[in-house]
Amino acid sequence: MSTIRQNIKEEEASRIENIDFKMVTFSLAGKEYGIDIMKVKEISKANRFTFVPNSASYVRGVYNLRGDIISVIDLRVMFNLPAPKVAEGVMEDMIILRLDEMLIGVIVDSIDKVVGINSETIQPPHPIFGDINIKFIKGVVENDDRLYLILDVERILGQKGEAPSRGPRPLAAVAPVEEEAYSEDKNLDAEPVASEAKVDFSFVVETLNTFRHFVVSPLNIAWTEHRFEQWKQERGEAVEAVQLQNVEDADAFLLPFYSDASGHFFPASLKDAYAALFRSLKTDRGQIAVWNPGCGRGYETYSLAAILKEVFTDKAVKIWAHDKDLLSISTAPNLVFQKEHVPSYLLPYVVEGKNGLSFGPELKDLILFEYHDILHGNPFPEVDLIVARDLGSFFSRQDQDKLIRIFTEKIRTGGLLVLGKNEVISDPGWETVEQAGLTAYRKKR
Amino acid sequence: MKTKMDFPSINERKPDGLKPDGTPYRVLIVDDSMFVSKQISQILTSEGFEIAGTASDGEEGLEKYKELYPNIDLVTMDITMPKMDGVTSLEKIIEFDKEARVIMISALGKQDLVKKALMLGAKNYIVKPLDRAKVLERVLMSLQ
Amino acid sequence: MRVEYINPFVESAFNVLKEVVGSNVERGELFLKSSSQPVLGVAAIVGLAGDVEGRVLFDMTKDTALGVASAMNGESLTSLDELVKATITELANMITAQAVTKLHELGFKFDLTPPALITGENMEVTDTEVEALIVPVQLEQGKIEINVAIRERA
Repeated sequence: MSTIRQNIKEEEASRIENIDFKMVTFSLAGKEYGIDIMKVKEISKANRFTFVPNSASYVRGVYNLRGDIISVIDLRVMFNLPAPKVAEGVMEDMIILRLDEMLIGVIVDSIDKVVGINSETIQPPHPIFGDINIKFIKGVVENDDRLYLILDVERILGQKGEAPSRGPRPLAAVAPVEEEAYSEDKNLDAEPVASEAKVDFSFVVETLNTFRHFVVSPLNIAWTEHRFEQWKQERGEAVEAVQLQNVEDADAFLLPFYSDASGHFFPASLKDAYAALFRSLKTDRGQIAVWNPGCGRGYETYSLAAILKEVFTDKAVKIWAHDKDLLSISTAPNLVFQKEHVPSYLLPYVVEGKNGLSFGPELKDLILFEYHDILHGNPFPEVDLIVARDLGSFFSRQDQDKLIRIFTEKIRTGGLLVLGKNEVISDPGWETVEQAGLTAYRKKR
Repeated sequence: MKTKMDFPSINERKPDGLKPDGTPYRVLIVDDSMFVSKQISQILTSEGFEIAGTASDGEEGLEKYKELYPNIDLVTMDITMPKMDGVTSLEKIIEFDKEARVIMISALGKQDLVKKALMLGAKNYIVKPLDRAKVLERVLMSLQ
Repeated sequence: MRVEYINPFVESAFNVLKEVVGSNVERGELFLKSSSQPVLGVAAIVGLAGDVEGRVLFDMTKDTALGVASAMNGESLTSLDELVKATITELANMITAQAVTKLHELGFKFDLTPPALITGENMEVTDTEVEALIVPVQLEQGKIEINVAIRERA
């Protein structure tokens, strides 16, 4: 008798541990709901919706998502649930869904976290479970003492096509989504034993994208896999602990990825290393042209300007510094800082102002900071050097490919490309250069 | 008993656009924008000025000035216009009539063009957008 | 677009619109578009020359143009006639001129070319492949998209 009970418990335990479905959970009028993470592009808070007249009552309006105009629906209104009125300007929680090619924002009461479950534990819905029409519910699942109603997103948003599937999703459907093409490069069949680990890894990949727009690809796969192993050690083997539940987890995972001195002036040691690297740039021209896409607030750019001035004393230095984050780059031309943050090699260029220190024209005039999306075309001449640290890893796979193509076009033969500390390219058109602990890529003929 | 005649009549203000002898000042408006012309015209006529004529470029402005002379008290001159710009037109009007009173209207606070106009003899200038009080004030100043 | 150019345009648009249209003026979030094609139906264009080349375009629907022109003229205008066109053109001119003046003070020498107004369904503006900064401004009368496409002279 006890063995049977034991067996059932063990079976249950093993069933639960086999996580093959992850969902973003949130609440609507006090109840908990979940949406398949594969349908979620990102989550955010927003408040500037442009009202569209003559649309259904649940359409809150349209929203400008970094240039794309997406429709935004209030799920509470759609389901006739009470929706608390928020004051003007208060941010609301929004989940951005990706259905086929379409992006749609849905507003909810509050977004909770990502929960992983075994799809076999999903039960079909019973009318008693929900306030909302049962046809919108794919299933019901219990996790950690809470009951979640899993929404059928396609039904809700009026997508035509297949009937929503009920019950467990086949494992194969889990891995590839157009952006996570790392799995196309890996041969899943080669390691059948580790398939569960593969699934875990693929979930981490998916959540890195959802929470931080970090896209795993050949550019960074080596680092990501290595980091994952490390992460498992840090977090312990329990499945729940390994998965990235929220933005904080994603940030903790990504912490070692970033290049040295990200968001800060380069300390003297790093400056010397880059100086050694740049000395290998040979040019007959009177100018060193540099492109610094993804420059952010400009700390990196100013450091580079000083280094290049030191290395190329007889040449004019010109840097095109771009970023499409308006908030960051708008402070760059007049960056203000305190003395304790300035390494000594930058001090000669610094001037006093009423709010702190900033750079004088000797350094500032070398740099052109532009609010610019580099995928829109770059109307400046060929450059000798491109410094794009930790940029490509935050582009979609397609855009990463575009990016490398753009770099190849914009850089002259023999020019140097500097990527992030943990980003690599392996392409016959580029020769790897190692100098003073740094890696760069030189464009071959 | 005090009659109406004994007290100063505070409610009867003389409209700005009338000369001391009661006749209206005559103004020539030179501007290539129908909208600006209309705006200036509305502001001035509401204060009793008379719009003697309008022109939509510097050349037409010069011709009209010569036609209306000497029954013309003031010219409002837009700076940027096709065919002949406001500063050139101003120069030629002053050549024709040393006493001509011209105010420059400009969207640009471009100091150099305005300075040039003032040196050539323009009495004053107004920067767009036009507001009623500013326009009337500058016009009246130029008529002193 | 060069960072220093952004604020002058944003501020001028806001200031001039507030002054001449009077109603609530709200600025939307700025963003970049890969092409600078006008899309709403009525577009006033002011060319720029000098340290840069390019133009500023004021994109709006016909209804917004009528609403704004009506407010600026203090009367109800219901068809896209010469007065409405002159009014919208003048609006574009004032905003651009104020921005250019601010930029002069910052040391950037630009010049304006006379404005043009284009209307219609299939508007073609030649520089369709130039990146544009979009400054959306929301008024009572509707939305105006200020579309700035500027390139540094190499």
